[in-house]
Amino acid sequence: MKVFFINGPNLNLLGTREPEIYGKDTLQDIANRCEQRGAELGLDVTFMQSNYEGQLVEWVQEGIQNANAIVINAGAYTHTSVAIHDALRAYEGYKIELHISNPHLREAFRHTSYVSPTVDAVVAGLGVGGYDLLIELLPSMLK
Amino acid sequence: MNNNRILILNGPGLSDLSAYQGYNYGALSLEKIERECSKLCKSEGLELEFRQTDDDDQMFRWIAKDSDKFAGLIINPVGYSQAANVEFEMYRSSIRMIAHLRKPVVEVHITNIFNQGTDITKPLQAPKGEMGFICGLGYHGYLLAIQSVANKLRAEQN
Repeated sequence: MKVFFINGPNLNLLGTREPEIYGKDTLQDIANRCEQRGAELGLDVTFMQSNYEGQLVEWVQEGIQNANAIVINAGAYTHTSVAIHDALRAYEGYKIELHISNPHLREAFRHTSYVSPTVDAVVAGLGVGGYDLLIELLPSMLK
Repeated sequence: MNNNRILILNGPGLSDLSAYQGYNYGALSLEKIERECSKLCKSEGLELEFRQTDDDDQMFRWIAKDSDKFAGLIINPVGYSQAANVEFEMYRSSIRMIAHLRKPVVEVHITNIFNQGTDITKPLQAPKGEMGFICGLGYHGYLLAIQSVANKLRAEQN
């Protein structure tokens, strides 16, 4: 089972940017954990991050051929990107929207998600632990 | 663990889950959800109180009256987190109270509430305090919430 973890803008700053909201783990820490635990569970995890909207669109498109599931944390593009919305609609595999914090509890400009209506499930506000919890869950959702 | 009791609250309408059949999670019933939750709580060393009510006032009374007895709350409020009315304000203020106590709170929905014609520009707002949000994972959403609460309570003790 191939799973893409697609991460959007500013997630490369994880561990240094506002650690009180996002925690101290770096994205590399999380990637290592997900890849390792994924392998134990029979998941082939590809962990990606880009600050560029078009790159995220291309990774989702690549998933159409190459991924059984996509977990996407589109960062701030969640609230702006019709292009990512369209790419996700074209992807027919299993897909989950993930956020470290809960955008609904933050500023009003984060209350709209263009990602949410396109995915199977939304997980937010569980901290960086959300990544680890999803890895454990994915095998049962992909059965 | 000092207080290892968690409360799972299910709001109005959730006594009958027949409308959720065919949603790709197999036959779903509240009894099945409770069974799965009990199993996980047991293995995580948590004591579970699992409740459902069709009475809105009862739901708010439980949140207000009983939440101090529990270390964490998982709630499926059905439409309350999106409702643009007095009930929404009641829900918001009661959840805010618990979040202020720095107890883990997670809102869970069985289905993805954002792809059923919900106005995505009017979602839950509960300023301050932490609160998790899970939708679209069927009964697995409850399990994910329990796991997250268990991890958080464990981290607080260390």
